[in-house]
Amino acid sequence: MTTDKTPLIRVLDLEKKFDNINAINNVSLDVYEGDVLFVVGPSGSGKSTFLRCLNRLEKPTGGKILFDGVDICSPNCDIDIHRQKMGMVFQQFNLFPHMSIMKNLIIGPMRLQKKSREEAEALACDYLKRVGLLDRKHDYPNQLSGGQKQRIAICRALCMGPQVMLFDEPTSALDPEMVGEVLSVMRELAEEKMTMVVVTHEMNFAKEIANRIIFMAEGEIVEENSPEEFFLNPKSDRLKAFLGKVL
Amino acid sequence: MDNIVRSFYQNFIEDNRYQYILDGLKNTLIITFFAVILGTIIGFLIGAIRSTYEKTGKLKFLNAICHIYLAVIRGTPMVLQLLITYFVIFASVNVSKIVVSIIAFGINSGAYVAEIIRSGIMSIDNGQFEAGRSLGFSYNQTMILFIFPQAIKNILPALGNEFIVLLKETSVSGYIAMQDLTKGADIIRSQTYSAFMPLIMAALIYLILVLVLDQFVKYFERKMRNSDH
Ligand SMILES: Nc1ncnc2c1ncn2[C@@H]1O[C@H](COP(=O)(O)OP(=O)(O)OP(=O)(O)O)[C@@H](O)[C@H]1O
Ligand SMILES: [Mg+2]
Repeated sequence: MTTDKTPLIRVLDLEKKFDNINAINNVSLDVYEGDVLFVVGPSGSGKSTFLRCLNRLEKPTGGKILFDGVDICSPNCDIDIHRQKMGMVFQQFNLFPHMSIMKNLIIGPMRLQKKSREEAEALACDYLKRVGLLDRKHDYPNQLSGGQKQRIAICRALCMGPQVMLFDEPTSALDPEMVGEVLSVMRELAEEKMTMVVVTHEMNFAKEIANRIIFMAEGEIVEENSPEEFFLNPKSDRLKAFLGKVL
Repeated sequence: MDNIVRSFYQNFIEDNRYQYILDGLKNTLIITFFAVILGTIIGFLIGAIRSTYEKTGKLKFLNAICHIYLAVIRGTPMVLQLLITYFVIFASVNVSKIVVSIIAFGINSGAYVAEIIRSGIMSIDNGQFEAGRSLGFSYNQTMILFIFPQAIKNILPALGNEFIVLLKETSVSGYIAMQDLTKGADIIRSQTYSAFMPLIMAALIYLILVLVLDQFVKYFERKMRNSDH
């Protein structure tokens, strides 16, 4: 594959222990610019923990994570700077309920990137237009449906101009009829070559837009493949069993 | 009826005895007001330390000290804290009783305010905290911009109730011969040998103050809820 390039994210022997639970064991992985990497696996296999280690919301207990060549696990690394370049979208949206939609979108660029209000608002309006929610900019998060909230949450992350977007089950908290609107925003992002790491249970969506899929079980990467091979020719028994259940 | 008027005259008008009530009320209000300020400052500091420890595991040593403070203050009677502050801690220093009272009640109140603030902060969903941090905001920025403005809705009403409790608590100031409202009424009783008038008067004044403060708290609560988006 793309071995001639240096990876945007390089994970080396990552390990994460919670007290006595081994959530992540010896995981190594390279994510390249433009990758749309999907992470699937059974519940409790460590997918969220893995994703949250990438921007150090969880502090790894072993191994290394290089982002853009910088070891973000080293104690003298300023993680706040790097997090600005890694957008994160949560299952529960986590919009700030005491701020208007517009405020949710501009607070990061204004406070952290010292953009002027005009500049930040113009950027926010661009993204709001793209997800079809420009007319809701003065509303508050609780006035929106789940699907709308999640589209706003994606905009909020994009307004920081990230180099990679991390998604943790972005559609799992949504009513079925709202899943499509969020997936189509993600599809557009993938088409624009945004680097994405996506944890999901939406297998058909993974098949459709991923360029790589990894299967995690018990804190390890059991198998990685292209979408076609992943679903047609699963190698390990665990993946076969998993696909048997979810497809 | 005549009896009541005469009793009223004797207890409050004769020899200007109403001054005991007025001076007492003034002292009660001064002690409560400054103790509230001191208690809030202490409470904020300790609440911040405790919730930082719970969220990040940092400030372990300070948190341990806070634990001791909370255990001691909440585990001993207010009257004893007041007596110890006056007769032990400030025994050899010349500090006015009103200042001693403010310090004793402020330190006491701080412990309860700290718990109000800590639980207010911890009541906000951790997802809010993670959203702030994942955008690149520091711990302090996240607290100030996202967590605290939401926590304040839970904190303010509880804080108001704490101040109402404090107002009534200051009635034990008489133990160090501080002339507060209760003590003032009791002085009149000891001069006129009639208990009913002065004690009921003091009780009425406390009741009115509490009812007024209670309305303030309720008003705030409503306002907070209305701005709840
Ligand atoms: N904060 C935590 N404290 C203790 N254990 C945790 C914590 N977070 C996760 N774990 C444990 O780590 C393991 C991996 O959890 P994780 O949430 O990463 O799984 P997941 O693959 O995302 O599951 P799901 O599909 O249900 O979201 C589980 O055994 C879980 O109980
Ligand atoms: Mg998960």
